[in-house]
Amino acid sequence: MVSHIGSNDPNMNWLTTSLKTFDERYPGVKTEYLSTNEYSLQNFITILNQAIATHPDGIAVPILNSEALQPILDKAIQDGIPVVAFNISDPRPADQRIHYLTYVGGDEHLTGLKLGEYVIEQVNAGKIPKPTRVLCANHDATHQGLKARFAGMQEAMKKIDVPVEDLIIGADPAGARSIMQSYLSTHKDVNYIFCLGTLSVPWAYSVADEMGLHPKLSDKGLTIVGVDDSPNSLEGIKDGKVLASHSQGFWLQGYLPMEFLYFYKKMGMAPLDDIITGPIVINQSNIDLWIKIVKGIIGEEAYKKQITW
Amino acid sequence: MHRFLRRPDVGILIGCICIFILFSLWNPGQWFNWYTFISISRYTAILGLLAIGQTFVILVREIDLSVGSVYGAVGVAFIGLEQQLSVPLSFLLAMIFAIMVGLLNATIVIGGRLPSMIVTLGGLFFYRGLIYVSTHGAVRGPPQAARQDWFAQLIGGHWFRVENGFLWMLLLAGICGAILYQTPFGNHLFASGGDPASAESQGIPVNRVRTWAFILCSVFAGLSAVVTLTKDPQTNVSLGTGFELESIAAVVIGGTLLAGGRGTVLGTVLGSFFFTAVRSEMIAFGAPPSWYTSFVGIALLLVVTVNTLLSKRLRSN
Repeated sequence: MVSHIGSNDPNMNWLTTSLKTFDERYPGVKTEYLSTNEYSLQNFITILNQAIATHPDGIAVPILNSEALQPILDKAIQDGIPVVAFNISDPRPADQRIHYLTYVGGDEHLTGLKLGEYVIEQVNAGKIPKPTRVLCANHDATHQGLKARFAGMQEAMKKIDVPVEDLIIGADPAGARSIMQSYLSTHKDVNYIFCLGTLSVPWAYSVADEMGLHPKLSDKGLTIVGVDDSPNSLEGIKDGKVLASHSQGFWLQGYLPMEFLYFYKKMGMAPLDDIITGPIVINQSNIDLWIKIVKGIIGEEAYKKQITW
Repeated sequence: MHRFLRRPDVGILIGCICIFILFSLWNPGQWFNWYTFISISRYTAILGLLAIGQTFVILVREIDLSVGSVYGAVGVAFIGLEQQLSVPLSFLLAMIFAIMVGLLNATIVIGGRLPSMIVTLGGLFFYRGLIYVSTHGAVRGPPQAARQDWFAQLIGGHWFRVENGFLWMLLLAGICGAILYQTPFGNHLFASGGDPASAESQGIPVNRVRTWAFILCSVFAGLSAVVTLTKDPQTNVSLGTGFELESIAAVVIGGTLLAGGRGTVLGTVLGSFFFTAVRSEMIAFGAPPSWYTSFVGIALLLVVTVNTLLSKRLRSN
């Protein structure tokens, strides 16, 4: 598994935990998790090339950038290395995309769309303010999945004629805060922030709070929408600081690609279609269940450690 | 007048006056907004502290590419220690860690006769990796009780609505300016960077001066991290990513020569303010934040060209 989710990202634990389970169930198979530790497509490609050079029985890889990965993965497939895409798919039509066996992961466009539709549903129920402008805080300009989340939110908001803007904030907390603060001070009609990555959720809240924009969940002020089932997002929902988040079934994204590669190797079997593992909207109604699930996977101690509020 | 024009920071001083007038006329509502001031002063303080440390190193003809990672590592150490110890003691130990890092950088550069660019590049990767390994990808910020501690408030609190971090940066800039221009150590720094062989022949302990420059650089990076964390507790393992280049850019645009021996702390602080203010206003005007990266490149090229032309003309006069 060659991944962009490195030890700089708490979500890595989901994938490594599921690989461990796979290893236990299939003792004759050796899995390996390789990842970058920074948001760099170039470094990711370097690691992918290194993995291909070892000629493994299969590779699971997120399609961070279709154009950049196409020649590398096409060559690997031609050389007899089966590929399963996970976490991020090739967004192009099926006949044009990279010829991987299947895709296992969430639908990033659906993530933005479903969360946007949930916002509209809550607005119609009179529980939260009607959006006037939505800011999408993007910590990684090169991440195709984040762009798809943004496009999904745009599609949802189009139904109620609300503009949605993408703002590249970077991954450093101080720099990201500074950028968001500058933006919010001149775009006073922004009353929703959709954080495209879980790491920026507490940053967005603190900036809005400091600027007196009342980000605590209510029928007025600014509303924050997060992503992922990380402890940060879950505790944000629990405390009424975040309206909703989602789960894309990270555990399955680690485990299932390995099983599909194994079945393909042993029996030549592959799924006929993509395996969509999410999104599942997490909100006040199911938050306790999700906290329990996540604690069960990563452990109570790790859960506490990952809360950066 | 001629003496004023000879100052290394004259370019950035004029640049800052120009952007101040430009932004005041163009968008006064945004520019004279309190939140704009807070936002710009906060980031100027963080970048300024890092860049002041970098100034010392560049003045002695070296460079420190590890400051961004050291900033992150000291920050993470401060948070980790705070869970077991009091805030002041955690701060003290985190600063000792920063001193050790600076000392290590200097020892390898001087003892091994290696280029500082390579040694500190190694440090950049090593300390970032150390953060990843030690935190497993998640860093919890200091808890509420720690942030309310008198010492945390002293560093990250407010004084008449102005953030203490910004005031600390101004105070330390003043002290460092005085050290550079009023003390023998400052003299030694300029001499060691200007012409190390000549400085050595006059009995200046060049290697000791360079060692202190590296130590100061790491300590300022650590201070900057603590200022950030006591004010904005939410953190991430990406803390300080890319700061090394931003700090170097602020120093160079502030008039300090990469060849060493010439520069001012005032110029560095103004350079930090210049970049922060321009980025803030670019976003406010609706430009994508990524344009800022291109702007930094163009501004650097312009400043280095103008500085080179100015110093050539002054020398010929």
